Amino acid sequence: MPEKPSDPARPAIELRDVRASSGGYEILDGACAAFPEGLCSVVMGPAGSGKSTLLKVAAGLVPPDSGSVLYRGAELARFGRRDEAAFRAATGFVFQDGALWADQNILTNVTMPLRVHKAWLGPSAMAELARETLGALGYDEGMAFRPAELSAGEQKLVSIARAVIHEPQLVFMDDPTANLDEDAAERVYALIAKLRERRRTVVIVANSSELAYRFADRLGIIKGGRLVAFGSYEETVGTAEAALSGSIARLKARGERAAAPEREPRGVREPDAGAENSQAGDV
Amino acid sequence: MAIIAAIGRAARTKASGLLYGLGFFYNVLKETGRFFRRKQVGYKVLIMQILFTGYEALAINAVMAIAIGAAINVIGSSLLPQFGQSQLMYSILIVVITRELGPLLTAFVITARSGTAIATQLGTMVVNHEIEAYIAVGLNPISYLVVPRFIGVVVSMLVLTVYFNIFGLLGSFIVVQAVNPTPIGEYLGALMSTLTLADVFSGLTKALVFGVIVSVVSTFQGFAVNRASTEIPVAGIKAVGSSFILIIVADVLVTLVQYA
Repeated sequence: MPEKPSDPARPAIELRDVRASSGGYEILDGACAAFPEGLCSVVMGPAGSGKSTLLKVAAGLVPPDSGSVLYRGAELARFGRRDEAAFRAATGFVFQDGALWADQNILTNVTMPLRVHKAWLGPSAMAELARETLGALGYDEGMAFRPAELSAGEQKLVSIARAVIHEPQLVFMDDPTANLDEDAAERVYALIAKLRERRRTVVIVANSSELAYRFADRLGIIKGGRLVAFGSYEETVGTAEAALSGSIARLKARGERAAAPEREPRGVREPDAGAENSQAGDV
Repeated sequence: MAIIAAIGRAARTKASGLLYGLGFFYNVLKETGRFFRRKQVGYKVLIMQILFTGYEALAINAVMAIAIGAAINVIGSSLLPQFGQSQLMYSILIVVITRELGPLLTAFVITARSGTAIATQLGTMVVNHEIEAYIAVGLNPISYLVVPRFIGVVVSMLVLTVYFNIFGLLGSFIVVQAVNPTPIGEYLGALMSTLTLADVFSGLTKALVFGVIVSVVSTFQGFAVNRASTEIPVAGIKAVGSSFILIIVADVLVTLVQYA
């Protein structure tokens, strides 16, 4: 696996004709996408369209039935133990439902990536980092609580803190503002903005058009397990309204973005135009 | 033809399940070899497992062992004199408790307590995506979740078997005191002169094999849970059922090897 942070010829994560199923049901049906290094990509789609599975496959948490997932040009499925460890150290994942470890307290939940990847920091430095990260997200409950003692929104904040505490290069976020009140959502937006400023690669799947409007350098639309559109925000908003009426129509109605990011990817390669399965032309 | 095809499909499913299970077992052994060689965060899980499986089961194991030891003595004391074989009492005690009932009943207790607990706990973690969260932060679930449970159950199984033997023989001593008061030195001396290294080795070999079976089957069934919470109790039931069957089969095989 390449160790260098970026290569202008390669996307950070690339999915090639990925198919995935669960319990006999096909969830991803030949999905293709390339998430550029240093940019924020948002994939939207209706409930049950395969967004979460797409993200988990991209993050190497769910093995695809067929097709391949590449991280900086190297296939995840071929990673050895060291490559896998390096990949995990460079990535963070926010789960849709938090997925906190029920038998561990909040401090352990949040500091686990540090204990795995930055063990040299020591317990007190880890606890301090945990407090800082959670504080920035507005979490002000105790660190000794178990996840079951927190609300769904608080669990989500802890999950987000766990995903970013080790300062990963690449962050996967599954509906990061779900279950959050408006203030908490604003703090999460601020965190994502900060990640973008630092040129981290962020991949978000969400129902919220707000996330796409604010942050999408690349916008994808998933429907029935296929990425029916994937490109720059303007391209996708301009062409995909037929594919997903609600969310895209709302984005389109908002007009041009006031703060439309003029950003160049650190290594963009558009998804294979020849990948018939993406059906980008269908919309 | 349809029946033959169905049988073929079922056989293929069973064979692939067996191969998957063997692959799982191989991975557990491989990661166990690595467990002590590296700094990691799994030691807490190991200590908790030994506390739950070993320490917390001491009381039930001791009570059961005393009762079984007493029962064997009562039966032996009433039957053996009829054949003029009273001196065999100590041999029977050693063979039955140390070689057979100690490891077997301890394995049943551990299966009922820890096997179900392990399978349902891991199954719950699967359903709640906690396993995926471990992978996401870079922890191998086999290394972090299975290996500590594997080592914890095997160590607890060995220790509890020794405890069972001690308490079983103690139970017998209590009955001896009630029926035919004997100085403890004399009682222990007679027992020790009967006990051989082969008896100890036999019991501990069985304990080791049973510990491996319970831990591997329970963790495997826990991970076999897919998505629904309704699968969790099923995983517990399967862990107990499969462990009991495999323990009995292994008991027969190990006994055959030892007496062959």
